Amino acid sequence: MNNGNHRQVASPARRLILLLGSLLLLYPLIRFIRFKLPRKPKIIEVSGTVKQDGQLLKQDFILLSRDDQLWAVSRICTHLGCRINYKEREGYLECPCHQSRFSIHGEVLNGPAQQHLPRYHVEEKGAPPALFVTIK
Amino acid sequence: MRIAERFGTLLQSIKWGEWSLICLYLSLLSGILVGLHYDPHEPYYSTSALDILIPYGAWFRSLHFYSSQLFFLFALAHYLAVFDKSESYDTTSFIVLILCLPVILMLLFTGYVLRFDSTGFSAGMIAEHILEAIPFFGSTLDRLLFAISDGGLQRVYLHHVCSFNILFLLLAWNHLRRYYRVNLTSHLPLVATVMLTGVFVAAPLDPEQLGISYITGPWFFLGLQELLRYLPPLIAGVLVPVALIGALTVLRRKSRWYPHLLTFVGCWLVGYLFLTVLALTIHD
Repeated sequence: MNNGNHRQVASPARRLILLLGSLLLLYPLIRFIRFKLPRKPKIIEVSGTVKQDGQLLKQDFILLSRDDQLWAVSRICTHLGCRINYKEREGYLECPCHQSRFSIHGEVLNGPAQQHLPRYHVEEKGAPPALFVTIK
Repeated sequence: MRIAERFGTLLQSIKWGEWSLICLYLSLLSGILVGLHYDPHEPYYSTSALDILIPYGAWFRSLHFYSSQLFFLFALAHYLAVFDKSESYDTTSFIVLILCLPVILMLLFTGYVLRFDSTGFSAGMIAEHILEAIPFFGSTLDRLLFAISDGGLQRVYLHHVCSFNILFLLLAWNHLRRYYRVNLTSHLPLVATVMLTGVFVAAPLDPEQLGISYITGPWFFLGLQELLRYLPPLIAGVLVPVALIGALTVLRRKSRWYPHLLTFVGCWLVGYLFLTVLALTIHD
């Protein structure tokens, strides 16, 4: 692989300075990369209604209504983050990537997921009432 | 034995490296065209628009998709065909060239994610969770490469169009600078085939379907997706792929570990193929 170029070999002192300089640069670099811009909680107004004993699928969550109660659970699987779906006939939520199953309240029924799905706050406001879901 | 010999002769007779390079050029040119209309802030909308609204958008997207896949496959075939000749490379040059393979895979993978259809979204999220599972620096690596759940596709887009291409060129430069001039007129059948494939076979796009119970990732990701069902992300998503890349970097005929390494690589590939078939058949 000798292409005829003669490279100047750096002295050990210069190499040490370069190494130390690179290590010093590593700290601000990692702090810069890891920084997360703080975001406000997302409040989503839901268009459409949820029928009694029904459900409404949105991109980030699913709204469920049972016995006059209304709640929302995340659609992001706690195993590896795929978007889960509601299996209407079976009455549970299932991840299409690795088939983790969750109850309609977000509890794990079947792995590989280990953690329950987060539940989000749902508020009914205004007249006619509109639904607001807060995602933190 | 005869079949193996014939296969070997066939493998040697085709100029896989040149084919791979032609496909790389087609991929880069079509990628620039696709990039004119792709918007990382509206990824699925702009990808669908390419397919449905923009004149010849579907063709250019297909061309980009198939030329990129073929670039990777021909590069693999090239590696197999010239494996014996690669003995003349020194250790560093050989390792650097082998490292091009995961970089090409990352280019393909980020391309899949950028569609942001149901498979693209899932593949991206899985990759993010795999990186997060790496102790100490996993979350930094995720913030550097993906961070889709927090920052959308900004990083994935940046790396697909910029960083991974630069990294590939840096790694492959010593190799490519000797061969980058290919005579297009000698490869017209290949160019025509790739172009026509783009016309007749649409690049995949999977809209979200309610109630769907099984989705599969990119073809090269299927085995890994299946393995993630049984093993933790750190083992299935990091250690298993790294083991193969590590083995490939030291797989040299002159090495005294050569027979063992070859057995390991062979078993790894057979195992991965088995998992891929399992992913395609058992859950459908």
